[in-house]
Amino acid sequence: MAERIDVAVIGAGPAGLAAAIAAREQGAERVVIIKRSERLGGLLPQCIHNGFGLLYFGEDMTGPEYERVFMRRAEKAGVEARLETMVLDLGEGREITAASSRHGYMRFRPGAVVLAMGCRERARGTLGIPGGRPSGVLTAGTCQRYVNIEGYIPGERFVILGSGDIGMIMARRLTLEGARVEAVVEIMPWPGGLIRNEVQCLHDFGIPLLLEHTVTFVHGEGRIAGVTVARVDAERRPVPGTERFVPCDCLLLSAGLIPENELSLKAGVELDPVTGGPVVDENRQTRVPGIFAGGNVVQVHDLVDWVSWEAEAAGRAAARFADKGKMPFAGKVRVSPGENVKYVVPQYISGKEDVTLHLRVTRPGRKAALRLGGKAWKRFRSVRPGEMIIEKVPVARLSQFISGGELRVDCGRGETGEEA
Amino acid sequence: MAASETVICIGCPLGCRVVVSLDKKGNVTRIKGAQCKQGERYVLKELREPVRTLTTTVRTMDDAYPLLPVRTTRPVLKTLMADIMRETVGVRVKPPVRCGKVIIADVAGSGADLAATTDWKG
Repeated sequence: MAERIDVAVIGAGPAGLAAAIAAREQGAERVVIIKRSERLGGLLPQCIHNGFGLLYFGEDMTGPEYERVFMRRAEKAGVEARLETMVLDLGEGREITAASSRHGYMRFRPGAVVLAMGCRERARGTLGIPGGRPSGVLTAGTCQRYVNIEGYIPGERFVILGSGDIGMIMARRLTLEGARVEAVVEIMPWPGGLIRNEVQCLHDFGIPLLLEHTVTFVHGEGRIAGVTVARVDAERRPVPGTERFVPCDCLLLSAGLIPENELSLKAGVELDPVTGGPVVDENRQTRVPGIFAGGNVVQVHDLVDWVSWEAEAAGRAAARFADKGKMPFAGKVRVSPGENVKYVVPQYISGKEDVTLHLRVTRPGRKAALRLGGKAWKRFRSVRPGEMIIEKVPVARLSQFISGGELRVDCGRGETGEEA
Repeated sequence: MAASETVICIGCPLGCRVVVSLDKKGNVTRIKGAQCKQGERYVLKELREPVRTLTTTVRTMDDAYPLLPVRTTRPVLKTLMADIMRETVGVRVKPPVRCGKVIIADVAGSGADLAATTDWKG
């Protein structure tokens, strides 16, 4: 294939845009974003709420405003776009096979690839809710598109299953638009999303949050007529006798996001079974040389600001790889999740660079202590699975925490040990 | 009669439930449950004057692009949210619109404008 591309970025949401801009700024000459739809940008236009950019820009922006800034920066940076182009395969030697109705079938072998496909919502099929298959059961993100882009409110009485941020934000949005939200039903004993969303989306509007409850049956023929809601026990099993019928004409699902990695698997990229995203090193290089990844395809972030930062790191490293033709996987030190740590990204580090650890705890707790290699690093008054912990560790301190090629990360109770 | 109000602090993941005691005149007599001073300040402000940024959409005249996203240019009293939503009913915008363009000035007497959050060339 004659066409020379230094860095190909797959996906054009906040991660793809940030990675492409960073690759250009790092000196890559031809940076091309491959995108299956007709315009650059991702889902941010439908995220009309505020709360974006507080960390990255120090400003409270809405989704459309945040994306607009990155679109303008991408244009200025000379990022190229191959739109309405579907990547079909990513094979041996980073060969991309793609197709578009305008350019037909094409193959190219870029100097480096950045995976920036983001994530998708868990749909009903993966939740296994018994009952019929009436219409009116949709994901919170689909509903968000209907309401904020297409101008269509898909129901009048809603039940929301799962207390992820999108679900809570849609509870507020639908209420403002005149619909009734009967309840947000959460199987865990704590809400899935951020505290500020619980307060400003649910409490502000008197929307009940039913913790340790789930939907056990979907009723209705043709159109959903209601759901059965039941309490669950400590093993998350429905408790007999606690069932009650809640009428509704729409059930929204906000029960988790899954990194979108079908293409990564085709490329032979190793995935972390916990994050659902590629195993990466501190440069966000995957186990396949020259394939990098950043944003929600690696791990589902709480804040878009961190998506942008992570993807920038991937974009810069991809540009360096394209320039030099190689970059070793920084796999000297394995970062292993210990007590009360669900996962840590990156999974591998060199131990020779400053590193920013992204981690989530398994259980919420008060007075938690983050320990690195068994040694106290930082204390937290409180930790929650819904809020990612991000810690920058300078290289000067790293070596004392690494032993036997491992950096163990624990986030259990603090020394005082008391549960407040 | 003296009363108390509970406010959940949103300053950090802790989400402290802060109980504020008030005397007959509504003066704060006691504040309990906040783990930091910043939290106390937030809670007192939230009690006296709870404000939110409201984001919504307004209709356009274009079937291919039916909605334009908008926001209040600064946080407004949360008690005004329903009034602001009512004021957007019947609004129809025409292109071109630049991000930041005021769609409704001083919306619902809130002191804030309702402004576009995206560009729409039409």
